[in-house]
Amino acid sequence: MARRSEQTTALLFVLPAIAMVGIFRMFPLVWGFLLSFTSGDGQGGSVWVGIDNYRQLTTDTAFHDSLINTAILLATLPVWVMLPLLLAILIHQGVPGGKLFRAVYFFPAVLSAVIIGSIFNVLLRYDGTINAALGSVGIEAVDWLGSGTTAMASLIAVALWSTFGMSVLIFMAGLSTVSSELIEAARLDGAKPAQIWWHVILPAMRPILEFVAVVTTIGVLTSMFGLIYVLTAGGPGTSTTLPEFLIWMEQGKMNRPGYASAISMVLFVGMAGLAYVQIRIMSRNANG
Amino acid sequence: MHWVVAVPMALLALSCVYPVFFTVNNALKDNKGYILNRFGIVQDPSVQNFVDAWGRAHLGEYLFNSVTVTLGAVVLLLLTSSLAGFALAMLRFPFRRVLFIVILASLMIPVQVVLVPFYRTMMGLGLINTRFGLILAYTAFFLPFCVYLMTAFYSRLPREMVEAARMDGATLLQIWWNIMLPMGRPALLTLGILNTLYCWNDVLISLLVLQKERTVMVGIAALRGEYTTNVPLLCAGIALAAAPIILLYIFFQRQIVDGIAVGAVKG
Repeated sequence: MARRSEQTTALLFVLPAIAMVGIFRMFPLVWGFLLSFTSGDGQGGSVWVGIDNYRQLTTDTAFHDSLINTAILLATLPVWVMLPLLLAILIHQGVPGGKLFRAVYFFPAVLSAVIIGSIFNVLLRYDGTINAALGSVGIEAVDWLGSGTTAMASLIAVALWSTFGMSVLIFMAGLSTVSSELIEAARLDGAKPAQIWWHVILPAMRPILEFVAVVTTIGVLTSMFGLIYVLTAGGPGTSTTLPEFLIWMEQGKMNRPGYASAISMVLFVGMAGLAYVQIRIMSRNANG
Repeated sequence: MHWVVAVPMALLALSCVYPVFFTVNNALKDNKGYILNRFGIVQDPSVQNFVDAWGRAHLGEYLFNSVTVTLGAVVLLLLTSSLAGFALAMLRFPFRRVLFIVILASLMIPVQVVLVPFYRTMMGLGLINTRFGLILAYTAFFLPFCVYLMTAFYSRLPREMVEAARMDGATLLQIWWNIMLPMGRPALLTLGILNTLYCWNDVLISLLVLQKERTVMVGIAALRGEYTTNVPLLCAGIALAAAPIILLYIFFQRQIVDGIAVGAVKG
């Protein structure tokens, strides 16, 4: 008797959490899936259009551009992972000032994308601070944010700059868990420092590398909105439009909920696999 | 050899703090002073821009909205996640494992993926343009990680504690409130700080839910559009909006570091 009522109480304890994610995330996901097969009828209602929205996507140049931009962004991922790893190794090796660097590197990561985007907008725009500085030494101004060729590069650079410190922290935490007996044993066997890094420490770091790679990928796919919103607004044209920003544009300015939902579904499918890997790593670590 | 790498690393570190200096320095200039001298240290500092940003550009109001919403969401997040974490880690009941996975699985659904239907759900529940709606939205989107962390944290505590309290006739609710909440303090502190950052810094969910009253980040984004030519005023606004976060960073670095590293490394 007591047993049963306790089980009910336990379920009630989990209920608020389940209700929150159920109502605001799971249910909208199903609804969005259904919406993606509809289109507005112009009077506030919607009509079933089958896979029309998805068919339209195949010929929508803005959508294509957003995929190409995503591909460009993903191509830079090795830098997002290897640069922090290198910095973490150097700090771990006891570079002078390392402790201070570690603390300062992740400072931009705690600032809002809006704050960072606004500051860099002031610095990078055509009549901005950097061009004024270049002008004073006789270098011609570059339209960092206004030209298709440099806008994406600027966006990526600012995003990388503002988050690399986080990966440094994660790598440092990982490095501190590598067993010192293992390193000592290798040293006694006559291994050189470089060999120890390559054959002992990096293999032990594999789970951390996996984690950083997955989390960074998810990050660049889903947390660039704030930066795009204030830094480039997706432009010029579509040159810095990523799928998440396109969804925002479609649902807001053009009022096409069905179409926006279809893009959402494509993003969801792309993300789901990655998120699955992340969840597996996290639940492995929680139970281990 | 050490100095060869230390110099570029120091420059990188400098670049991480320079924007803050740049912002505060220019916020203290007037517009003419900024245009004539963009990099130099301010000559005759004035707080007029801060006064204008606070009043004329409504940042005072926006800051108040952000404080209310962030506090509300963080309290709600901590209560729901520690309650769920306690049950998931220490109690035995049907579907325990499944429910844990379901909560974690919702990490797969970022807000962008449900933008339209999420907005409509909020609309249907009458939560659009209410601070309470934004509090619920933040709770829903930041909750899975909190539940994950609290469950992991409570799993490491001895279960005998609960048994002993139960022998003394305490109800589960009493055990949660009197034992689990105080015991969970380190994890709750970490989560409280991290989620303060997330809620304060958010712009997408806030743009969607609060369309009349703005939170401070939405306000800054708008300010950037309205005062494009008045950089010092914009800088003052940015400094006001970033100040609480910079204080958190200075006082709670340890907790932030712990919170970021958890999940990657067995804690």
